[in-house]
Amino acid sequence: MGLKRNVGLMTALRYKGQGPFLTYILHRIGGLGMAIFVTTHILATFVEGKGWQIGDIINDIYISPFFQVFFLFGVLFHIINGMRITILDLFPKLILYHRQAIMIEWVIFIVVYSFAAITTITTAIARL
Amino acid sequence: MEITIKIFRYDPEKDERGHYETYVVEGDENDRVLDVLELVKGKTDGSLAFRRSCAHGVCGSDAMRINGRNHLACKTLVRDVGANITVEPLLGLKVAKDLIVDMEPFFDNYKKMLPYMINDSPLPADGKERLQSPEQRARFDESTKCIMCAACTTACPSYWASDEYYGPAAIVAAHRFIFDSRDEGASQRLHILSETDGTARCHTAYNCTEACPRDIKITKAIGEVKMAMITGKLD
Repeated sequence: MGLKRNVGLMTALRYKGQGPFLTYILHRIGGLGMAIFVTTHILATFVEGKGWQIGDIINDIYISPFFQVFFLFGVLFHIINGMRITILDLFPKLILYHRQAIMIEWVIFIVVYSFAAITTITTAIARL
Repeated sequence: MEITIKIFRYDPEKDERGHYETYVVEGDENDRVLDVLELVKGKTDGSLAFRRSCAHGVCGSDAMRINGRNHLACKTLVRDVGANITVEPLLGLKVAKDLIVDMEPFFDNYKKMLPYMINDSPLPADGKERLQSPEQRARFDESTKCIMCAACTTACPSYWASDEYYGPAAIVAAHRFIFDSRDEGASQRLHILSETDGTARCHTAYNCTEACPRDIKITKAIGEVKMAMITGKLD
């Protein structure tokens, strides 16, 4: 009787939850990015130890500036957003100002991420 | 003005799965989405099913997704959502027919919060009533405004993942009694909420606060319940 309640990923992502929901989604993407990075790093170290060439290929992927710029986005967003969540969790009265908190978070993120990304790119260019 | 409304349709007696049907009606920008649905049902397709009762944002019957976001149809004006409207049932609950969802799991979670006054102490000396100061009443004033429309719970990603999670509306109901100075059941409710399906599943996406048609600061209420669980204080 009736349709199933299950909500698919795409249906969930289409929900128009506005700014806070976007940070919720990016926070999870950042976490996933970190998990992928750590897994790749361990895997590369393991296969390099075995003397297999695939280890070099995996290394090349995660030390490439493209990967690092993407990775930095995930990590920095995860850290800064996590700090906002922690502060608001510890001081529930501040939750009234969650929109302002998210705006401050974006400002901090853009400044820090721009610096990190530019440094990564200029370092990569200098090595060419 | 011409209003184009795309409506999710599902008839359990005929359909294997849901589909959308589009209707064009003549309306006014000051009409509510509920008025547009009534126009469709009254003049074009009488088989359209949706809940409505008071039509004034009090009963909470007509919560639905309007242009991808939870709203009450009776509190949403056409001018605020535009002349192209998409209406879908709430997420996370089984669709019974068209825009009608099975609310039973939602109310089951509400009942788990013991949503009634618990006080076994003897009445005050005058034997009449348990008095409360305006400040004590203000402590839980906002959570009394809940109309149980489910707009918050069905906007919550944690609830989409599992309806075992009590959900924002149930926690707001618990908040209303936990912080009531006349109630003595706070520890029971906090114990229930400290379980796996309690407040720990709130990941502060704020979809509930954004969706609430009564402007209840739901995430704040959940945060206060979390702090009460951690500190054991109800201040």
